[in-house]
Amino acid sequence: MTANTPLPGADDAPAASTAEAKPHPGRRSFLIGAGSGAAATALAATGAFAANQPDAPTTTAAPTSSPEVPFHGANQAGVYRPAAQQRQACFVSFRVLARDQSELKTLLQSLTAQGAKLAAGLRASDPVPSEDLPAIAGGPPVNSGVLGDDVPPDSFTMTVGLSAGVFDNPAYKLAGKKPKGLTEMTVFPNDTPDPAWTGGDLLLQLCADSTDMIHYSLREITKATRGALALQWRINGFHSAPRPTGSPRNLFGYKDGIVNPAADDQLVWIEKGAGQPDWAVGGTFIVVRLIRMLVEFWDRVGLGEQDGMIGRHRVSGAPLGGTAETDTPDYAHDPNGDTIPLDAHIRLANPRTKATDRSRLLRRGYNYDLGVDLNGNMQAGLIFASYQRDIQKQFEATQLRLVDEPMTDYIEPFGGGYFIGLPGVAKAGGFLGEGLFA
Amino acid sequence: MTDPLPAPAQTMSAAITSYRGYVNGKLDMLTGQVLTLKASIGNNDLDAARRQWLDAQLTWQRVGAAYGSFGELGDAINGLPNGLPKGTSDPGFTGLHRIEFGLYNGQGPGQLTPVAATLLADIDKLRGQLNALTIDPTDLPIRCHEILEDSLRDNLSGNNDQGSGMALALTAADVDGTRVVLAILGAMINRLHPGYAATVSTSVDRLANALAGTRTDGQWPVYRTAALSVRQPVTGALGAALELLAFVPVLFSSDD
Repeated sequence: MTANTPLPGADDAPAASTAEAKPHPGRRSFLIGAGSGAAATALAATGAFAANQPDAPTTTAAPTSSPEVPFHGANQAGVYRPAAQQRQACFVSFRVLARDQSELKTLLQSLTAQGAKLAAGLRASDPVPSEDLPAIAGGPPVNSGVLGDDVPPDSFTMTVGLSAGVFDNPAYKLAGKKPKGLTEMTVFPNDTPDPAWTGGDLLLQLCADSTDMIHYSLREITKATRGALALQWRINGFHSAPRPTGSPRNLFGYKDGIVNPAADDQLVWIEKGAGQPDWAVGGTFIVVRLIRMLVEFWDRVGLGEQDGMIGRHRVSGAPLGGTAETDTPDYAHDPNGDTIPLDAHIRLANPRTKATDRSRLLRRGYNYDLGVDLNGNMQAGLIFASYQRDIQKQFEATQLRLVDEPMTDYIEPFGGGYFIGLPGVAKAGGFLGEGLFA
Repeated sequence: MTDPLPAPAQTMSAAITSYRGYVNGKLDMLTGQVLTLKASIGNNDLDAARRQWLDAQLTWQRVGAAYGSFGELGDAINGLPNGLPKGTSDPGFTGLHRIEFGLYNGQGPGQLTPVAATLLADIDKLRGQLNALTIDPTDLPIRCHEILEDSLRDNLSGNNDQGSGMALALTAADVDGTRVVLAILGAMINRLHPGYAATVSTSVDRLANALAGTRTDGQWPVYRTAALSVRQPVTGALGAALELLAFVPVLFSSDD
């Protein structure tokens, strides 16, 4: 071994050393940067050669990988970026174990480096940044190898949120930076909160198009942040393929997520002058709700009653009385609920009135399928995730309209939390939550 | 409770000699503790026996016999019912955890006196063999992280708990054992990589502090029922220490 090779934490810094914590350009961009060099040329030539081999042995081909979703931007990825929601997700809540503000900052730098690295993907042939090199030859490998040598970008996004607990912890001296309206998750009348699935200090929303990428990324991130983050709860979710077209279906069999506000509607990102601390501009409030769906019970209900509870036709996804899922329900001409019942879910959630227009929110939920409940039922449901600039005026206003809706008999919200999704990292060199330490 | 740490060794053979001396002392202590424990069991003073079992178990943890390093004798002294056809009632389930099982599951002198006698005999056998036991030069560096890997794998998973719930106490004793091995190897670690002994010691100290923080009035909480918020600082600090300790054996296995 060479005596000057840095071991992890060999200086006085905690496990994530400063060098390790600095975001670095992805390997791919490094290679592109060296584009005129022989290495890039050789790689391109090899690729062309392989593609033109007519007699290449047939093996099971690796699935075509999804493209890279840029990590850097004014806002975090995983909300509006990429436009098409990824197929797989993991929502993880951690307790932050950092002992002071400086350790918290190091943690966020470390997360930033991981998020950027995982989003870019890497090829085994790419140069490995020095901070990722094994400290000593023969030591544990740099990564788990779960994805093989080449780690695809796979549309990976990492979205980070902090709960009120972080701002309330005097060790971090961030009380003055606490966003307005960031509270513990409200317990609504139909909720059955389970402490094992509720709260936490830091939310990671990991999305990608493959389940192994989700596993790999969480494993990389927890290794890089060992001792600073403790897993609290985590749940994997899947976003179904369209059946047969249009919006994917939830586990009640209904198309879900049909109506979402566009970025231009200015309902999601926190803007300057909105009464929130400056550091939070470009962030968004994230609400995660773990909602068990009593699917066996639901399956014993007639289709007409199901349609009435949702307010849509199950087959087409169209609002009752309509023909296409994109049809706009016409509540003005249905004041008594003859076509769409007044207590139908879609009608309560979004009454489409001027007064409720600003309570719309962006949803990006995932189905989950966990195991077996005590009563022998399948435990399955929805990881509801919404993004809004104001929890009270958007999520809570919507949720309060839904109290005691007929569908509540078939669902059981049992976990989740409220988080401030950090502003994006505009460019390399910055880190998530940088404004907190300004 | 914590003894002064051994002096750093300058060579691996000196380290092995030092460690052997340390283990000899611990086995002497263990013999005395198990004699006392056996007497309490014989007198049906099971409250005392439960305290004395813990004393003995902690002494064994401090030996630092990670990953079955004493072979079959180690299993006889500290084995678990896992993998035995009849589980906890299997005659192959012997030793400290067998006594723990009995003391926390309504057994008394009838069942436990012979177990304690066998345990004493096994400890005696190990003492007799210890000086002849070959210790591989790679063994001590590996223990630097495997003692605490055992803590995570066996204690803090709940896997080795036979009813006492003392996983945190056992882990704290594992920390003591790790500190002994690190103290013996410290000078050599620093020679291979200047400053690294202090780096790992800092992480182990942080773990020790996290463990101490779980105690109330000097009592360890029962691990299985301890709140997640009590466990997280310990498992977090343990994970962080392990990531650093994992490089210690690598340092010693490098040729150049």
